[in-house]
This record gives sequence, structure tokens and C-alpha cells, in this order.
Amino acid sequence: MIETKEVNFAYRRGEPVINDIDCRIEDGEFIALLGHNGSGKTTLSRLFMALMHPRSGAVYLDGEDIAKKEPADLADRIGYVFQNPDLQILADTVWDEVAYGPRNKKLPAEQVSAQVEEALAATGLTDFAEVYPRTLSFGQKRRLGVAAALALKPRILILDEITNGQDSLEKEQMMNYLRAINEKRGITVILITHDMNIARLYARRVLVLHNGSLVFDDVPEELFNGIKDLGEWGLEQPTMAALSRAFGLYALTVGDFCSQLVLKAGEQQ
Amino acid sequence: MRVTAFTQLITVLAVTALVFILPVQLVSFVLVVELVLLLYIRHDRMTMAAIGALAVFTGMMILLQLLFRSPLETALAGGLRMLVMTMAFLCLLAATKIQDIAQALVERFRLPCEYAFMLTTALRFVPDFLADSAVTLDAQSCRGYSNRGNVFKRMYSYLVVIKPLVMRAVAKSDTLALSMELKGFGANTYKNMKKQELGTGDYLMLTIVFLLSTYKFWVKYI
Amino acid sequence: MKNKAVEFKNFYYAYNGDELALKNINFGIREGSFTVLLGPSGAGKTTLCKAMAGIIPYYYGGRYAGSVEVLGEDTKGRRVSDIAMKLGLMLEDYESQLVSLTAGEEVSFSLLNHGFPPEEVAERTRKALEDVGLPGRENYQMDELSGGQRQRLLLASVLAVRPRVIVLDEPVSAMDPEGAVSLYKLLYKLYQKYGMTVVVVEHNLDFVLPYITDMIVLQDGQIKAAGCFEEAAEKAYADRELRHLLPALWQVRLELEQREGIRLGSWRNIGEAISELKEKFGRVGL
Repeated sequence: MIETKEVNFAYRRGEPVINDIDCRIEDGEFIALLGHNGSGKTTLSRLFMALMHPRSGAVYLDGEDIAKKEPADLADRIGYVFQNPDLQILADTVWDEVAYGPRNKKLPAEQVSAQVEEALAATGLTDFAEVYPRTLSFGQKRRLGVAAALALKPRILILDEITNGQDSLEKEQMMNYLRAINEKRGITVILITHDMNIARLYARRVLVLHNGSLVFDDVPEELFNGIKDLGEWGLEQPTMAALSRAFGLYALTVGDFCSQLVLKAGEQQ
Repeated sequence: MRVTAFTQLITVLAVTALVFILPVQLVSFVLVVELVLLLYIRHDRMTMAAIGALAVFTGMMILLQLLFRSPLETALAGGLRMLVMTMAFLCLLAATKIQDIAQALVERFRLPCEYAFMLTTALRFVPDFLADSAVTLDAQSCRGYSNRGNVFKRMYSYLVVIKPLVMRAVAKSDTLALSMELKGFGANTYKNMKKQELGTGDYLMLTIVFLLSTYKFWVKYI
Repeated sequence: MKNKAVEFKNFYYAYNGDELALKNINFGIREGSFTVLLGPSGAGKTTLCKAMAGIIPYYYGGRYAGSVEVLGEDTKGRRVSDIAMKLGLMLEDYESQLVSLTAGEEVSFSLLNHGFPPEEVAERTRKALEDVGLPGRENYQMDELSGGQRQRLLLASVLAVRPRVIVLDEPVSAMDPEGAVSLYKLLYKLYQKYGMTVVVVEHNLDFVLPYITDMIVLQDGQIKAAGCFEEAAEKAYADRELRHLLPALWQVRLELEQREGIRLGSWRNIGEAISELKEKFGRVGL
């Protein structure tokens, strides 16, 4: 569980980036953290991981203030996956790459290998264990990043723009793995994204930041089908949401929309 | 009155030699000139920080010399000379675009264009490299890497950021090479730039440099 | 019959010691078209772009057969930078393609290399920076520019030599949606202004839907469809693996056409889709 109390943050000699944010993220949630560029969404997530510390206010992890912690202290409770997988790959095999975290924690060898196997399985990389990581496709490298974080058995996973630069099939694959990790293992997933469609399809709760303030905190249906104009927060309405809204439907996929539209048209005649 | 990069380079090279030729009083005078010049060209935070760092470094040099039992006078003079030398380079960097220095090196000193290009490109990628290394360090710390502990342990564990950074740099250099190919980099690059013609300022400056360099020779006859 | 900006004839290519990356490539890109190159990851889109610019095979070696013509001239045996005068290429990872310390130097770099006189270099640099919305920024250092600005700077440096064709490989993959939309808006403006041919690799077609005239669909190193957007989209839709790469709006359009046996318009934005659907399916939801 992550909880923030009146958290504020500003860079040196800069405007405030985070203004008085109070929020609470329970175990097992699947959250999308949305906001336009510079809204503070990445900053907030970095505060969760102790990569930065608030100017004022406090961040609590399972009720404990993390003001005195550094990321390494939290690594077995929160996994944080960065956007660019190339900047973190350091080992010569996928297996060693994933084992880096558990080895850092000086776990016994059997436990390391058990945790690595589990993380590889959860991200569909078991068959790639002996592969040189840099030859993986972009989508696979992203999953490797997730596996590397999972190997420390965190209960919370924070992912920064994890689907950026991927085609829709790769995105779907990545999101299905994350959904399974969330549902089967009960790991909290916090997704920082500007892909509205991903938020709409997968998240069960959406937080929207705008100019450093938390302006929305509810289920995605409420955000995408509500009366609120997303443009005001610098967000784009995804195509399927806009289409659905125009016809008073709530369809997630193209197939859904077509069926619902035809059905409704038939009923009205 | 503008002075071209060529003259500035010559001047800086001359100053590094002059500090050993000229008497200490004159060297201190050069230092004052340099300081005034530097602050006239630029007086932002970066410049101040650089001056500060140089001063500290010079102080350390002097202390070191004293430790090795050099007389105070020699130590001070040595520190002063070094300060004047490095300050000259600082002035050069503040006053001239690297691109112009590179061009002067190719045009007047016949440096192969590849080396000149390396000079500018290396500088171009420094900020990117620093940004990348910050991300890499963060990413590793999120996987349990901690730089707490003694200096040696910290140095050793710092190695974890080197590899991803080197690999990233290699990948970048591949794209960079392609980009240079597409843009037709070659011997023409510097040849086709606007020539840096010497003007009155240059001749004046070069004369002063010449006079100072031959100081030992003519001072006897005055 | 319009001229071809780029034409591939029986082209095959394999990287050194690797299997064929491109197989039996035959297609032409219409001069003056806004062409999108579509395909799943690893289909060979980047390789195809590099072949257009003559980087393949010149730079990478490898085995190849067939020919590539740019504006009617075979690329074989020509210098990459000479081809770049006619066909500008913007690779992915724009950061690594910027080689200079200031914006002005960056744009004038290739002009100088090609021996343009200094006055013209200055004039073209000024113009190119103005075109991409960075007027008067000649003396800006790289780190004074934001990511989006750096990318537009790269675009300016490609445009400065005034190529008639410009090829962009996933130009917005590292950008947020807002930045992506504005980059394509800019590109379209320049496309209209200079009557260029634009070829772009993009996997989110929602960004380019309003502008596409032609489309090439690539899968496993082979051309699946090439030609006007409507027809190529229909062909792609028929393939289960390629279907999802189309813009959501067109997936709806083609799905409804198939299910209901009707014909719908060539929607370019959501407004068009909504008004036609309201007409065809009654006033659903009102």
C-alpha cells in the first residue's frame, strides 16, 4: 500500500511540480497514472520509489515513512521499470540480467534461481534465458525490464511508458502479461502512460494529474464516458471512446462497438 | 575589434610558454588581464564555478609543493604560472565557439578533419551522456544496487553503470556514422566554411604576442 | 501516369551472414504522395527505408539483387550523400543524428559538405529553421532545445538541401501524443508547401490518417499491398495479423462494411465517421 499525505515537490529554483497530493493506492490495484507532458506524473511515481523525496508532506509505504530510504531499500517491495530498456541491460544473458537484483540482495543461490525462473515465466521469457539480451526485439527487451524488476518479488510494480514505441500487437502482449501478473499474483500495477487506450482497456482505476495536482481519481468508464472534456487536462480522447460516447455505448474494442451499434440500431427500428 | 580563433589559439599557446619566460610580476599582470577578459566575455554561474575550481586546484598545487619542501616563493610562483596557463584556455573556450577552433585547427594547423570533428562531436554528446548515466544509475538502484559503503566499494559498484552506457554509446555512434554519411561529411566540411580572414585585431594581437615572446631578447637592449 | 519518386524492381536483400530481410520487392512510390509504410515489428520497414537512401547495400554490405531507383536514377554506385540531396532520410533515434553543437551548425552541416557558397548556406539555414518553427535559433546550443525541438531541428537539416523526397522512420516513437500530432501537422504543411513526396514509417496510423494518400504494407520482408490508401487498407484488413495495425476508425469502417454488406466513406477524422454512421444507423443513442 502506498499513501501520500500533502506531498509537494519542486526542483531547485523551479516552479512546484507536485502540489499537495493526497492519494492512497491499495494492494492488488491496477492503476493508470495519466497526464500531459510535464503534468508531474513521472515525478509522483519517482517519489513513490524514493528516487526523489518530497519538499514537504510524506510518502508512506505500508504505513512506513520512506523519507530516509533510498531506492535500493525498497527494491524488494516496489519494482520500477524505466522507459528505455537499453540503459539498464548489463549482463550477457537474459538469465543473469534478471538475477542481478536478487544477487544484489545477497539471496542464497537456490532462491535466486527460483525467483529468476518465476520472473522469466511471468513475462514469457523462459525460452530466452540463455540469449544475449541485446539481440532481443524491442518488445522483448521491455519485458526483460519487467522480469528484472519482478525477480525481487516486489508487491508493487511501477512502469514508466512501457508501451511507448510498440505496435498494437506488442502492446497487447505486454499488457496481457501485466494483467496476469496483477490478477494471478495480486501484484499492484501502476502504469504511467499517455496511451489513453491502454488506460481505458486495462486499468481499473485512473489517476489524472494536471499541473501537479490530482484532478481525477475514479474508474476509467467515468473518465472516458463522463461529461468531462479531457482536452482541458491536455489528454486525448481515444478513438473508440469518442465513437462509443457519440452513440451512447460503452465499447472497448472495434468488434464490441460494431456489434453494439448494429444491435441498438435494430432495436430502435 | 574581433580576433579570429587562429590568433586566439596562437595567443593561448604563447601564454603557456610565456609563463615560464616572463618575470613573476608580468605573469601576475597577465593573470589580471585574463580575469578581466574572462569576466567581460562571460560572467554566468558556469564561469564562476570554473574560476572557483581552478583557484582551489591551484591552492592544492601550492600546498603539495610546500609539502615537498619547496620554498614558499617557488611554490607560489609555480601555482601562479599554472593558474595563468589554465585560465588562458578558459578564456579561449569562453570567447570562441568550438566549431571555430576546430576550423582553425584544420585550416591553419592542418589537423585532419576527422580529429577536428571528433573534438566537436565529443563535446556535443557530453550532456546526453550525463543524462543517460543518471538514468542508468537510477535503474540499477531500483534493482537493489546501493552506493553506500567505503570509497573502494563505491568505485567498484559504479562499474555497473559503465557497461550499459558503453553499449548505448556504441549504438549511438552507429547512427551517428550513418547520419554523417547521409550528410556527406568529408574533407570538404571545413574547406567550405567561411574563411577566417585575419583582421587588424589579429595583427595587433599577434604583434603583442611576438613582442612578449621575444621579451628576453630585447629587454637587454633597453 | 505520374512519375515514381522511388521504385524497387525485383529487389532482394540479406544482411551479412543472415537470411533474406527483403524478398522480391516490387513497387513504386508516386511522386507527390504522402505514403505510409506499415507492417509488424521486424517486417523490414527500416531496412526498406535504408535501401531507398542507398545506405543498403553501400554501407552495410550484405547480399542483394535487383535495383532501387530514386527519381528515375539507379542508386547503385552513387554516393549516399548525393542520393540524400534528392531523398532525405530521417532515421529513428533523432538524438544520435545531431552532430553539431549549435542549431545553425547542424542545419548548415550538409550544405557546407556539398559546397554551397557561405551566403547561400546562411540563407538556406535561416529558411529551414523558419520552416520547422525554430526561426532565429541559429545560435542555440543543443541542450537549450527540448526533445521535440531537436527533432524538428533534424528535420530542418534534412530539408535544407531541398530534397524532393523525404523518408522518416518512426519519427514520433519517442514522443507524447501531443508532440506527435504537432510534428505530423508540421510535416503535412511542408509537404503541401513544397510539393514533396513524403514516406513515413508509423505504427500508430491515427496520427497520420488525415494525410495519407498511399500505403505500403510489409510483412516478413515481403510487400503485401502497395498503392492507394483505401485499397491497401482493405487488403491489410483481410489479414488477421495486419488488421490491428490499421487506424481504429478504419477497423470499424471495414468491419461494418463486411458485416452489414454496406459501403462507407473514406473517413479521415472522427467527425466524418460519426456523421455517416448516424445517417446509416439511425439516430442511435439519441
